[in-house]
Amino acid sequence: MQTLAILMAGGAGTRLTVLSDKRAKPAVPFAGKYRIIDFTLSNCVNSGIYDVAVLTQYRPHSLNTHIGIGKPWDLDRQRGGVHLRQPYQGGNADLDWYRGTADAVYRNLDFIQEKLPDMVLILSGDHIYKMDYREMLEYHRQKGADLTVAVMNVPLEETDRFGIMTVNRNMRITEFHEKPKERDKGTLASMGIYVFDTRVLLDRLSEGSDETPRIDFGKHVIPDMIAQDKVYAYPFEGYWVDVGTVHSFWDTNLALCGPEGSADLNLHDPNWVIHTRSEERPPVKLGPQAQVTDSLISNGCVIRGRVERSVLSPGVYVSPGAVVTESVIINDTWIGPGAIVNRAIIDENVVVGAGTKLGFGDDLTPNQQMPDKLDSGISVVGAGAQIPGGLTIGRNVLIHSDRIESDFPGTDISSGETI
Amino acid sequence: MKTLVMVMAGGASEDLSVLTAVRAEPAIPFGGKFRIIDFLLSNCVNSGLYNVALLTQYMPRSLNEHVGVGKPWDLDRSQGGVRLLQPYLGPGQSGWQRGTADAVRHNMDFVSEQRVDNVLVLAGDHIYKMDYRQMMKFHQQMKADMTVAVRRVSPFETHRFGIVSVDSDMRVTGFKEKPRRSKETLASMGIYIFNTDTLREILADDSLNDFGRDILPAIFRSHKVAAYTFEGYWADVGTLQAYWESNMALLAETPALDLYDPDWVIHTRSEEQPPVQIGPEAWVGGNLLSNGCIIEGVVERSVLSPGVRVAAGAEVRDSVIMNDTVIEAGAKVQRVIIDKDVVVGEGVEACYGVDNVPNRLYPSRLNTGLTVIGKDAIIPAGVKIGHNVIINPGATADMFTSDFVPSGEVV
Repeated sequence: MQTLAILMAGGAGTRLTVLSDKRAKPAVPFAGKYRIIDFTLSNCVNSGIYDVAVLTQYRPHSLNTHIGIGKPWDLDRQRGGVHLRQPYQGGNADLDWYRGTADAVYRNLDFIQEKLPDMVLILSGDHIYKMDYREMLEYHRQKGADLTVAVMNVPLEETDRFGIMTVNRNMRITEFHEKPKERDKGTLASMGIYVFDTRVLLDRLSEGSDETPRIDFGKHVIPDMIAQDKVYAYPFEGYWVDVGTVHSFWDTNLALCGPEGSADLNLHDPNWVIHTRSEERPPVKLGPQAQVTDSLISNGCVIRGRVERSVLSPGVYVSPGAVVTESVIINDTWIGPGAIVNRAIIDENVVVGAGTKLGFGDDLTPNQQMPDKLDSGISVVGAGAQIPGGLTIGRNVLIHSDRIESDFPGTDISSGETI
Repeated sequence: MKTLVMVMAGGASEDLSVLTAVRAEPAIPFGGKFRIIDFLLSNCVNSGLYNVALLTQYMPRSLNEHVGVGKPWDLDRSQGGVRLLQPYLGPGQSGWQRGTADAVRHNMDFVSEQRVDNVLVLAGDHIYKMDYRQMMKFHQQMKADMTVAVRRVSPFETHRFGIVSVDSDMRVTGFKEKPRRSKETLASMGIYIFNTDTLREILADDSLNDFGRDILPAIFRSHKVAAYTFEGYWADVGTLQAYWESNMALLAETPALDLYDPDWVIHTRSEEQPPVQIGPEAWVGGNLLSNGCIIEGVVERSVLSPGVRVAAGAEVRDSVIMNDTVIEAGAKVQRVIIDKDVVVGEGVEACYGVDNVPNRLYPSRLNTGLTVIGKDAIIPAGVKIGHNVIINPGATADMFTSDFVPSGEVV
């Protein structure tokens, strides 16, 4: 049985604010040296699926560079391998951008027809989880399903954040409600992982019209298929996190700290290696005054100050006297002497000036421009920003990419501000 | 000018004891995630030399695996690239190689095939950063038949090197192999450029088997040999003490060997490992830690290769620890070189006591207080180990007859 995996990697991920300004969400660094998409790609190859298409649309450059020809995942192959598919003009497709997940797959139907696999596995490129897809594919075959949707149990009070599946005794899906307000639909939430019988997928996506649009899997395709096809739910129990918000991104990173084996996500499992394109960097160097506890530190970091409960990507420099706590710091950022960073997410190539306090005080005023996205006390700094020295910056502050010293007011920045 | 690089990677180098019992010296881990050969291969590609042959003979498996097709150094090429040349059997020149020059002689057909103007011969067991282009330019300007790279050494160290005498034009006029006392202090670094024709000519004499021992002492009489003075970082890590010191030197604030120089990247085959994980009770100051390490205890002034685990309550100081070794709870390790995949059991104390009895079997090699533990050894819980001890590769728990191994012992 041949399977083609299609990874949806075109979304903008706006809830991650500046982190996804310059890159698609799947390309956002995670757990130090990895990127979000590494987990899905590693799931594919660890499940023996070596035929993977990645559909891009939003800011794909970082993703293209990262995936390249797929070498780190052994996806550089004669047959199959990884294919990066961009939106294009011409042929039968209309000249618009992808309007949704199903639309994106529909525009690549010729690719699927060419491959003609038995099953198509649709994956979302922005979740962190470990899953052996072989078990789900086997389940799909045993059920004789047209479509199988991976689901997991979520707490009843959170059902309004997910697409909730209602099933009968045989796990056949009878109802689907997107983010239901009522609490009587069960607790099985869709994980955005679908196995389609290829023939059914081709038929259903081709049926689209103005009355029955086929733009989004969750909104259009799946509800219609529940009515007419055999749609089953595959219950998954294991690690799965949607890192789509600033808070969950921060929280999921920090959960990797702590004593050995305490994290739910084991990066050290030799039977389920998470592959990534590793940068060529020397080992971590810790200066004589360095104090590091409860942290994940990547290659090429030089630590001469104090780091606690933080996750550092490759090449971060922490100067003497600097203190970094409960923060996520991405590649090649420089933390100046005596700077104090608390509860911050700092993107790559940022300069934090000497003596600057970032994430200071008890004032938890939500961000004024994005109160729904930045309200848990975490400040976010975009790539390439240069924060001058000696500043005091509050919480829930957003500093956009490439801001230079003259963009700063020269006075302290209180909580909730945006630069 | 086309240049072929030939790296001498086949020597046995017994001075490194258990480290070379399982692999050739160029394949020994250094500076955490690197291996000795990485510095030289990186020199080659950073100098724009992409045609490299490695001559192997002694224990090449680890080296073969590390170099592979040369991908990390961009040496996987359709023209040139890296080639591993093994000893072979056949008519004419074949059989085991009797020395560095003999090794090149065995591969003269390969050299001829390459149609190069120069051959750069390198020793595979030194750590240095050198732009070979400058030396090659010097070689051309001097119109030399051969150029040897030299550096000044302390007069007290001349007995470890081949010492070169030069005239005012840097032309070589004399050579002494390892003199006890010498007025001259220019030491050969084992880096030679030959005109291909000169190389072919001198190797025609079957009795000359080694560049340092046989060829250098004679060639300056018949050919124009120039000395190129090099002043950058260069370390011969051919003894355990030198190996340990060179590793420790990397911990300085601004080490002589800068691994973080973006203009001179040291490439290596990196293992696929997660970032370093440092636990809540850990204490880490002044270290070099590689990917995949999990530190729960105390680590100070040490160099750790990928995948080392230091359990809570364990203490590691002034040590070099290679890949995937486990230091269990309560173990205390100081001034020890530990090879790969070793298990140091709970409560073990290595380098215990204050005496400094030289090693029983190798008093000339191991007498500075360092203890070395070979690959895959298992040290049972509670054992105390003195100084200058050698634990052989693959040592098992039942080889430890008591829970105290006095200084100078061999297990």
